[in-house]
Amino acid sequence: MVVTCPDLHSANLSADPDIQTARRHEQMIAAVTGFCPDVEVVEPGVCAFGARGPARYFGGETALAARIIAALADLGLAGRVGVADGLFAALLAARDGTIVSPGGTAKFLGAQPVSVLADHGLAAQDLAAQDLAAQDLAALLVRLGLHTLADFAALPVRDVASRFGDAGEGAHQLARGLDSRPLATRPPPAELSVAHRFDPPEPRAEPVVFAAKALAGRLHDALAARGLTCVRVQVKATWADGQESSRRWRHDGLLSAAAVADRVRWQLDGWQPAPPDDGKPPGDNKTADDENIPGGIVALRLVPDLLVRATGQQLALWGETLVSDQVARAAMRVQAMLGHEAVLRPVLGGGRNAGDQVTPIPFGEKTEPRLPAGRPWPGRVRGAAPGLVFPAAREAEVTDDAGRAVTVSGRCAVSAAPARLAVRGDPPRRITGWAGPWPLSERWWDPSAARRRARFQLVTEDGRAWLAVVEDGRWLVEAGYWLIGLG
Amino acid sequence: MAEFGLLCLALAAAPSADGAWCGIAGIPEAGVLAAAALGLDAGRTLLVPEPGPSWPQVVASLLDGCELVLLRPPARASAQVRQRLEATLRRGRGVLLVAGDWPGAQLRLRVASQRWTGLGDGHGRLRACCAEVTADGRGEAAVTRTRWLWLPGEDGGVAVADPRNLPFDLLQTPAAPALRAVSG
Repeated sequence: MVVTCPDLHSANLSADPDIQTARRHEQMIAAVTGFCPDVEVVEPGVCAFGARGPARYFGGETALAARIIAALADLGLAGRVGVADGLFAALLAARDGTIVSPGGTAKFLGAQPVSVLADHGLAAQDLAAQDLAAQDLAALLVRLGLHTLADFAALPVRDVASRFGDAGEGAHQLARGLDSRPLATRPPPAELSVAHRFDPPEPRAEPVVFAAKALAGRLHDALAARGLTCVRVQVKATWADGQESSRRWRHDGLLSAAAVADRVRWQLDGWQPAPPDDGKPPGDNKTADDENIPGGIVALRLVPDLLVRATGQQLALWGETLVSDQVARAAMRVQAMLGHEAVLRPVLGGGRNAGDQVTPIPFGEKTEPRLPAGRPWPGRVRGAAPGLVFPAAREAEVTDDAGRAVTVSGRCAVSAAPARLAVRGDPPRRITGWAGPWPLSERWWDPSAARRRARFQLVTEDGRAWLAVVEDGRWLVEAGYWLIGLG
Repeated sequence: MAEFGLLCLALAAAPSADGAWCGIAGIPEAGVLAAAALGLDAGRTLLVPEPGPSWPQVVASLLDGCELVLLRPPARASAQVRQRLEATLRRGRGVLLVAGDWPGAQLRLRVASQRWTGLGDGHGRLRACCAEVTADGRGEAAVTRTRWLWLPGEDGGVAVADPRNLPFDLLQTPAAPALRAVSG
């Protein structure tokens, strides 16, 4: 039995990611799944299932078709149902809502014009996306005087195969009703998210955290029963005033129910920054809790995100710094307050510039440097590394004894010895020592990423040292070498 | 931009090399590469570059997980905030290093002068830094002590320098005191 919804079928879901259409498609599949759990989704708006069992249960194919059409009409969808032996014939039958009686499929197919081979989506699917070939074939068959599938099916298989090749042979099989591949049914999508409603709304965090522990236990049981685990778990808390806090937490199948409950607690704590005077333990200070949770929580929902097969967890034997529970707890609590990107782990890598050699990676993600270490990286600044690397280079002016700006020519000749350094926002400093320029030309093959720059090291009278860069005639200070800010 | 420098990272490096976790809060320009050269284990370091207005809570949370937290407060710490953080420190086993002013710290380190070597007039490269570091504080640390240090030395590490054998004339060093506080 094939159910089609022409409205959804005409919309090409893969090319046009229309959420509304996709949702209606899901609704349609869910409605059909209510009659038979094993449904194959053939195309957007088209699904097929084996009709024998459900038809017997619902009192015949006609009765079943009427029920399905009524169920789809409730959703506002115009559905058509076709019944025949084999998927191809049933798809044809669904075009005009025919119910072909058992044994009548050969006659039904034989009466169809050969053009159905071309314009039917199934032809393209079964002939391995040889849509164009199928169209050509249909036109050719008409020119050869074969107008119906019966005419085509009457040809000997060997002649069809030698004249039309694989595509022709496939079409010939369809015409003879031999497409009987078993339906590739999908199991009904399991609803794995768990939710708890609080009635009346719960103003304090503790009961919510307690409920979260039980919820997480249910979620873990449901996942384990299917042999699954989730990479992340999404915690959604809804307040009585309609606000919602949603955050994804890394799970990887490693969190216990209590650990999930902890994350719920941090999320609730971090939802509104606690007032600065809440040093007291929770419980004896109801007003502080009330401020934390405006109006109380009405619902808590845990949604598993990115389901993967549970294969267990194997830690690396060497080379992986173990993050203890205590550290992970502290880092995640800060992430709950400030966001996922706020807690970073530095990873040392390679690179030519001061800022390139350390890649900050948000805590909990895979630590891999952006640029690999262990390469020569010609042109990098050697010697002691700077203790301060400014996240954004600071603009500066460097002048010589006469007060003229120091420039660097294309051949790396310095116009005069630098004598004064004026970093924007700071008073000018006298330069007591300098070295450079060290030229660096990066990625000259890529105009958008190419950079030409000349680096200097400068020492100023107050004992500080600076890493300065000339790029496009401008001076920038990238890094500083000093033990402490001297003023 | 004031008050933070390589000395803070050097203080954090030794415990980190011994297996302690180190949190660095409020210092987006911390040069992790230089700290790693002094012994900091980048794998056991957490950076919170922008702790925001609720930095006391952030630091308290970090102190739960890290043995050592290096902090430059984004705003001036009120006496109340300081007392709460000090109470957290007494409960736990952590050390708080503050780049900046922190009245009542156990130990304060100052750099009286610093001088880089290796750079000439248009040639050379920065090789080592010699600094005069002064420590004073409360309790056992009440006696003020002064040492000349190579930080970093020619080999990248930290070493005590011999004041009779400095690469420059002591009288010409600029003396600009700076305060920083260590509480532990």
